[in-house]
Amino acid sequence: MTRSKEPRAFDPFSKREKRTRRVLSVQSHVIHGYVGNKAATFPLQYRGWDVDGLNTVQFSNHPGYGRFTGFRSQPNEIYEIMQKGLLEGLQMEYDAILTGYLPSVESLQITAKVVGALCRREPHINWILDPVLGDNGKLYVAEENVPAYKQILRENDVYVVTPNQFEMETLSGVKIDSLQSLRLSFELFHEAYPRVEKIVVTSLEFPSSADIGEQYIYCACFDTHPASNAMSYFKIHKLDAQFSGSGDLFNALLLDCIVPAQKEDAAALPTVLRKVLLLVDKILRRTLELSVAEDAPSQQSRVIKDLKLIQCAELLHPDRRFEDFEAAARITESILD
Amino acid sequence: MPRVLATQSHVVHGFVGNKAATFPLQCYGWDVDCCNSVQYSNHTGYGMDKVFGNITDEKDLNQLLSGVLCNFANDYEALLSGYLPRKESVRCMGQHYTAYKRENPNSVWLMDPVMGDEGQLYVDQDVVVEYRNLALSPYSDVDIMTPNHFELEIICGKTIDNEDQLKLALQELHQTVPVVIVTSCDEKVFNDPQHVYCVASMKGHNPVVLRVPLIKSYFTGVGDLFSALLLDRVYKLLSLSDESLKLEHQVNDVLNVIQGVLKITMAYAPKNHIAKIGNAIDMKNAELRIIESRHLFNQDIPIEGKQNFIYREL
Repeated sequence: MTRSKEPRAFDPFSKREKRTRRVLSVQSHVIHGYVGNKAATFPLQYRGWDVDGLNTVQFSNHPGYGRFTGFRSQPNEIYEIMQKGLLEGLQMEYDAILTGYLPSVESLQITAKVVGALCRREPHINWILDPVLGDNGKLYVAEENVPAYKQILRENDVYVVTPNQFEMETLSGVKIDSLQSLRLSFELFHEAYPRVEKIVVTSLEFPSSADIGEQYIYCACFDTHPASNAMSYFKIHKLDAQFSGSGDLFNALLLDCIVPAQKEDAAALPTVLRKVLLLVDKILRRTLELSVAEDAPSQQSRVIKDLKLIQCAELLHPDRRFEDFEAAARITESILD
Repeated sequence: MPRVLATQSHVVHGFVGNKAATFPLQCYGWDVDCCNSVQYSNHTGYGMDKVFGNITDEKDLNQLLSGVLCNFANDYEALLSGYLPRKESVRCMGQHYTAYKRENPNSVWLMDPVMGDEGQLYVDQDVVVEYRNLALSPYSDVDIMTPNHFELEIICGKTIDNEDQLKLALQELHQTVPVVIVTSCDEKVFNDPQHVYCVASMKGHNPVVLRVPLIKSYFTGVGDLFSALLLDRVYKLLSLSDESLKLEHQVNDVLNVIQGVLKITMAYAPKNHIAKIGNAIDMKNAELRIIESRHLFNQDIPIEGKQNFIYREL
């Protein structure tokens, strides 16, 4: 079933937002499909961000397709573009920096060095860091990236970090199989990396997740800022599919909601997270619907290789009220204590 | 949803090449698969000492396009090509696009033969022969071309000083390319420094002249935005075979959107701003305000205060 696109006008920009928010997004680029910068850029632009996309690789498509071609950017190229080009040459002023997949430990370290120094000089810049290490119990970067990320998180003022379950376990040293161990992992993470302000753990699954035929996933957050200092978690109906790029989309939308254009629109972390989860859930549902309509029965494993971001444009419109998505998603929120 | 493969430059900051083309096309409902011919920190108008990054060399470009067109052999309704810095990269793009077009004859290829402007080449000299081959070969697969005056002269191999010569050049090019839009004609052709003249020409029809008031500032990326918007409009014209759609009306729409973007860009620039090439801060202020213009990239909503730029037949 495909829905007809509802035309939705943008107000001329200046009426609603006085200032364009700017982000430097350091991630992978694929020609075909929506992961990394391709998943982040369109949603952020559509929501009013000027996105400087620095591509850490250029691949024909993501590896989930089985075969792909392309190349990695060299650490020196990444350094020169950021440091000499954007910061020194253009004197760019960013509201946020988003860092994701980096193809080697050298490029990870050089990126963190530049971004870390920038955030120290200009503390109002919000660094959203996705510590890309692996998923489902498996590393998909070199082993040496683990200690590199630990050091980066220890030494830098990261605003939000967004590990998945495996990454959280790796970085905190706690196996997460219950709400209790989740809480412990938050505590140990904060102890190890006290300069990280907010922690958001995406796509958690516990052995007890399968409640009477229904599959759930959890998303949890810990705002370590003394003013809030609270942990919460959300329980979400799991969709019967896996989506490449959903994490990258999540990071981008989290960035949009947690760095609002107007200061007075700032909200508490759980409020922000609830919004983002509703929107991501809605986009994934529509993607699934459209993908199933395209090539119906053969998808046994239900791996959805490409998000249908363009078809979801009207969902991404900044005037859409998140409450509209509430009914279908059925997300429940609880305090973690 | 239509899908386009776009091979041109990528800049981290600013809006030229794929950065200028991608977002507007996405707003119009296209899946845009960008193959980046370079990754630079910003465009070269900032001064070469301010440009950092790399050219995608021929081997890498070839592998990327091979990979994409092998994995997604029939996925593209349209092909777009723009700035490619070297002979080998133009040839590589040409080979892959030509092969794709032969397998998928209903797809539409818009080639912007980016070589230079106002008498100055900004690609290697030997790029010229590659574009001439792609445009003039009797088996050319290019559907739409968007040269500026200088590029049209290079392709046709002669100078164009007046309307008759322009008409002749277009006729010659139409032997191999069905749709040609000359994006800006030299002042000498129409003797009017107050306007920018654009000529829309479809094989078998009289070329139509459109003109827009000249804005005295230096904007980079307008040509790239133009070819992207044009691809969207002309794709509909060619693929829907809708007789009621006329090329000059489609071009008029595109020019209206561009005028809107330029007005918004001017409104954001400092007062009395006239950008000078080579000054980084000037260049930054003159970047197209693509994001702030996003209300203009919506097909379902008519262009507000739409003007008629159609002037007369050539």
